[in-house]
Amino acid sequence: MAEDKKKKSAESEKADDKENKKAAAPEKTDDEAKKSDEKPKDDKKELLDDDDAGDLILEHQRESIPLTRENAVFTRSKGNLISLKLTKPDGEVEEFERVVVMRAFPISNPDEFLSVREPDTKRAGQGHEIGMIRHMSDFDDATQKLFLEELDRRYFSPKLIKILSVKDKFGYLYWDAETTSGHVTFIMNNPFSNIRVLDDGRIIMHDIDGNVFEIPDSSKLDKTSFKKIEIYL
Amino acid sequence: MKLMYDLPEADKAVLDAAMDGEEKLMYCLPFTIYEDKFVKGYMAFTNTTMYKILDGKLLDTWPIIGSSDFKTEVMYGCCGFYAKVNGSDTLICQFVSGRDLPRYAVIVKACEILNEQHQKKVDIKTLKPITNSTPERFCPKCGRPYINATTICPYCMDKKEIYKKLFAMTKGIRLMMCFPFVVAVFSVIFQFVVPWVEGKAINEYINPSNGVHGPMSGFVVIVIAIVSIDLFQRALGVAQGRFSAIAGNKFTLMLKTLLYEKLQSLSLASIQRRTTGDLMGRVNNDTSVMQTFVVSQLPTYFIQAVTFVLALPVLAVMNWRMCLFVFVPIPLVVFIVAKVWDFVQDRNRKLWVLSTRTGYLLHDILNGIRVVKCFGQEEREIERFKESSIRSSDQSESNAKIFDTIFPLLGLLIRFGSYLILLYGNMLVFHREMELGTLHQINSYANMVYAPLMYITFIPRTISTFMTSASKVFEILEEEPDVQDIGLPIDISIEGEIDVKNVTFGYESYNPVLENVSVHINPGEMIGIVGHSGSGKSTLINLIMRLYDVNEGEIKIDEVNIKDISQTALRGQMGVVLQETFLFSGTIQDNIRYSKPFATEEEVIRAAKAANAHDFIMKMPEGYNTLVGEKGYSLSGGERQRIAIARAIIHDPKILILDEATASLDTETEKLIQDALTKLVKNRTTLAIAHRLSTLRNADKLLVLDHGRVSEFGTHAELLKNKGIYWKLVMAQRKMNQDVERAQAEKAAAEKAAAEKAAAEKAAAGA
Repeated sequence: MAEDKKKKSAESEKADDKENKKAAAPEKTDDEAKKSDEKPKDDKKELLDDDDAGDLILEHQRESIPLTRENAVFTRSKGNLISLKLTKPDGEVEEFERVVVMRAFPISNPDEFLSVREPDTKRAGQGHEIGMIRHMSDFDDATQKLFLEELDRRYFSPKLIKILSVKDKFGYLYWDAETTSGHVTFIMNNPFSNIRVLDDGRIIMHDIDGNVFEIPDSSKLDKTSFKKIEIYL
Repeated sequence: MKLMYDLPEADKAVLDAAMDGEEKLMYCLPFTIYEDKFVKGYMAFTNTTMYKILDGKLLDTWPIIGSSDFKTEVMYGCCGFYAKVNGSDTLICQFVSGRDLPRYAVIVKACEILNEQHQKKVDIKTLKPITNSTPERFCPKCGRPYINATTICPYCMDKKEIYKKLFAMTKGIRLMMCFPFVVAVFSVIFQFVVPWVEGKAINEYINPSNGVHGPMSGFVVIVIAIVSIDLFQRALGVAQGRFSAIAGNKFTLMLKTLLYEKLQSLSLASIQRRTTGDLMGRVNNDTSVMQTFVVSQLPTYFIQAVTFVLALPVLAVMNWRMCLFVFVPIPLVVFIVAKVWDFVQDRNRKLWVLSTRTGYLLHDILNGIRVVKCFGQEEREIERFKESSIRSSDQSESNAKIFDTIFPLLGLLIRFGSYLILLYGNMLVFHREMELGTLHQINSYANMVYAPLMYITFIPRTISTFMTSASKVFEILEEEPDVQDIGLPIDISIEGEIDVKNVTFGYESYNPVLENVSVHINPGEMIGIVGHSGSGKSTLINLIMRLYDVNEGEIKIDEVNIKDISQTALRGQMGVVLQETFLFSGTIQDNIRYSKPFATEEEVIRAAKAANAHDFIMKMPEGYNTLVGEKGYSLSGGERQRIAIARAIIHDPKILILDEATASLDTETEKLIQDALTKLVKNRTTLAIAHRLSTLRNADKLLVLDHGRVSEFGTHAELLKNKGIYWKLVMAQRKMNQDVERAQAEKAAAEKAAAEKAAAEKAAAGA
């Protein structure tokens, strides 16, 4: 609940930022501040508040840039995750010990539009987007493999091979099934909203624990399995 | 919450071998995903190290001491537990989010504490595992999920206890509630008597087996008896209907009132744990379910049960062979009813889902009709709605077809026993071994056995629905409010001095939002609160209003701990303006005097004037009597805000709280509200969360919060001199203003240049 609250206020503040048009990048502001520090100080000017209109900017933004083979070098980090060496448009090189790669369209277009982000930390809060990758295939094979490793970890949706049983008890469905990641039992409520049939015929299922399962093609399921799920489609 | 799982033997042995003698096992949690497979592994956390164990193998170990940045990341279909080990972020383990995420959140905290204590040179061997009181979402006994937002397991709940509580609640209407049962007994008796009398009429008067009709007077007596029994039964039915209506409504009224009173007395924390929909459901639906069960379903089952228990032996005594015929179709019927019921339920549910989807769609489209029209998407929306309607109408049609076939067939099957009885009975009658009246009597009794059989299959479902509802209602009724007045609370008249001392607080105890916050506020001061989102601004204000109780430390108002002040006195002297203003359906006047229902018209106008709301209210034809809220006049954001301000000050509060009251308003409105606020804050202690520099500049002192700690506290000028967080924020803001101005100037210059150029070209062309 507290998190919800945080999210809410974060959103409203983001909206504020938009109102204020584009907020300056944090590094720049600090630099500017230092420069003004070096100038002969005018305390009176600083305490004069005539130009203090508008809101304080509480959230810093980072300018996201397109990432390509030319400006971004991804390597395996010591912790077996992904490190990034980024050459910014102004030529400055920035290194990230770890970056998070996320899919913009995890269901409809998993291999394109990848967002490369700073990880969230307790100190700095939500991580910002460093940049986006248009096609995964823009990068060499080793890098692609690195991405896929991370993505397979982050996007865990085993495919159902066989549905052994589905039992309805007190409004909950108790499933027993074989998946590409092994045998699993899971519990689902409200099957009509938690079983989504996509336009291309794939079926995505969510259980109460946050598991996501996929049926790539329901027509290829064996008959008994299909019968068990048919009623909810 | 369980933080110490028992390890299987093999895993335990591995862990014991890996741990050195000094280590103490603190926590042990499951992890469920490893290398893209579902597994059942365990993470063991000692006071120095984490061990990852799977199927009797030690997969990995990492130090806790010296590692940092422990955190959980929610991913798609799973979660990860990460830590920075030897300077590099590492994925420690992966698990399914629902069950274990809160557990790992505690571990994150525990690992941080361990490191903190180690740095402070505290002997970590002496540390005890932290505990957490967050309730589980799953029944510890059977592992099944609790009913949503409760700690009730439908399998394991104590059913006797619920009946007991229910019985205790029926005090005062018990007599009335007994009536249906009395009626039930009568009607069962009559049910037996009527076929017997009819049988007698047939045997002795209509179709006597010996050919000799009895006297006419006897027949008349029988007819009169049948008619009067019928009349009496109907009279009883009318009485029952009335009594059960009275009892039922009284019961629900009582239940709803109790529930609502309880809801109002609960703290904000317990209310917000649940959704509005859930609470409304409990007050409205669950109480109705209980009513139906108590006043209608229970007596019906009672009647059915009594009938069945009585009819069977009577039948057996009269003719045991025929009694057996009754049972021929029973197993089949029970089986089919149970199966068909599931099928029918599923079909109905599907239809229900499809029609609600159509409903939502309609709602959605009508709400967004402006957007639809603006983007010219009418055709597409018509298609979408048509498609959805067709689906639900198809489903409805096929359901109707199936049901209209199944139910008559089922009826036929049930009657099958009757046919056997008729067949066999007729043979007996032909052979003069049985009288016609007796056959009629037996046939009637046989039919009486079937109806209860149909009910038997429904009973478990009805009872479970009822049990679920009842336990949900009782859960609320029995909850102890967590913010409570002490035995003898003090009613003080507040001056406005606020003293926050070493306050630590978190919505979940393991995740403090405020840490060791101390602030002293003099009466009449205005304090501006600044900080990033999530820095604890709103939380601090919630604590001062005592919507939550602090975990550690204390908050004093005028030297009195707020826990000792009665909640009514405390909130009666505070005025609050929230960012999102909520106006109740009612007139403007009602809304303004919400906190002081008997305020005079003068007071209402004075408050409205102080809030700069008077003028716009007077522009409305109905003035202060204008209806606002859901069904009334729609006010703009600024207007609502000003009414909210008037509401906050009508009772002349000594402490005024403004939670981003001026954010998200345009400059003009903001100025009006600012003016209003300037008037208001005089002689009042004011706490204002704000981002606007203009608001902050008016404050006597500014409080800058950073990640739950006070980082700066002082006047605007002092903070600017200190060059801390606040100074940076102000500088960033100024720079942006300058940038905007510069951009505007550049644009103006460019336009001017272009115009000049154009003019010059024109002149050249002219020449």
